[in-house]
Amino acid sequence: MLSVRERGETVATLRWIHVRLMETIASWVPTTPEMEVKLLFGAHVWDLAQHADALGKRTFELRLPLQHSLEPTDPYKQLLASLAQVKDTAERVASFYDGVLVALAARYRNYLERTDRLLDAPTVRILEHIGAEQARMIRESQELRAELPALVLSHSEPVGRFLDRERLLDTFVVHKPEHATVGA
Amino acid sequence: MPIDPAETIVVRGVTLRRDPARESCFVIGHHETEVQALRDYSVLAVRSMLHREYNNETQNAEIAAQMLVDFPDAPWELRMQLARQCWDETRHARMFLRRVQELGGRKGESPIKNGDWGLVGMIETLPGRLLVQHRLIEGGVIDSFRQVARGFRESGDARTADMLDVILADEIQHVRFANQWLRHYSHEPRAVMQMAAALNFAAGVMRALQPKSGDRSLDGVDLPKEDHGIAINIDDRRRAGFTQAEIADLIQRDASESELAEG
Repeated sequence: MLSVRERGETVATLRWIHVRLMETIASWVPTTPEMEVKLLFGAHVWDLAQHADALGKRTFELRLPLQHSLEPTDPYKQLLASLAQVKDTAERVASFYDGVLVALAARYRNYLERTDRLLDAPTVRILEHIGAEQARMIRESQELRAELPALVLSHSEPVGRFLDRERLLDTFVVHKPEHATVGA
Repeated sequence: MPIDPAETIVVRGVTLRRDPARESCFVIGHHETEVQALRDYSVLAVRSMLHREYNNETQNAEIAAQMLVDFPDAPWELRMQLARQCWDETRHARMFLRRVQELGGRKGESPIKNGDWGLVGMIETLPGRLLVQHRLIEGGVIDSFRQVARGFRESGDARTADMLDVILADEIQHVRFANQWLRHYSHEPRAVMQMAAALNFAAGVMRALQPKSGDRSLDGVDLPKEDHGIAINIDDRRRAGFTQAEIADLIQRDASESELAEG
């Protein structure tokens, strides 16, 4: 079972990831030529900010500062850094919605399987809510791609590569050594 | 956050931020002489105006998004407000494009200009951008949108008028949060200097780009003679956090400018 510290560290790491994703798609708003995609990213900046905010409120309830972030493992940071470098619009859309958000959903499921749904009920609620919201974001991207087929990536290789790299990372949280005292 | 010279362009001797990315269907102007300006209620003039606003709202989303990128250490509450603004502006852009399409138009049908992005993107500080983009530019929108909405309603186009009123309500919130932060920053001498520098820069750019004698818009409007008189929207300015004294200053400045224009 996850300890309070481990839960706090996981939630704080997820917050870091969501802030970074918000910044990544924010950086794509002025640099993506296609207006419809630009506007989709702009709308989802707000969704990601809300997800980061909900996680940041939860960190405070888990003995960490309010809106506390913890950096993920180096390989996970490198993975997100490589995402931020993507220039092609179709690849941006596919990498973000079919890659990152799909992979994050698997991470949430993994956490929910490992945690005690009663002891950790507030985190469970937050992750279930974020998962549902991000499923909507993926749906919205699919609707846009159905409307504008030019946005569909002609080959799925970059997404497959991303998902493969992501799956190889056993964990994304850097856990600090557990201290003996409760409340440390 | 110094700006890369490769990211700039020069327009009439003024250095501005290079345009944000646009599709090839758009014709991009960099001065008022390179876009349309007719303000009658013919379908083509209305579509052209709505199309420019579609681009302006997109620019606002781009400016807010870029602020999230450029100022990662800004207070989280402010970042949340900027993120929310991003969403608002994208919805506004979609509303304008939908109206253009309802009136028989299409994306890219008339020239656009990214003037706000070009100006605000050159300001390197957070208090400076909040002052120029939110308080000055969007504050001005509070006045102009009410007047433009009224014009549409009187011309019988309630649908466009209602849309502008919805957008105006959102813009009040954007100006309000900026005013709250500007008051907060006004207690920090360094931030005050940054605001002063930004204001000075913006005033210089606006002066340099002001239409000169003989300047005409693409559709033939004599730009220096154009009537820019817009009544101050007192109620919404108050809602947006302007004090009574600040509103009185605006009204007085407005009256002085009108007197000057009337000669």
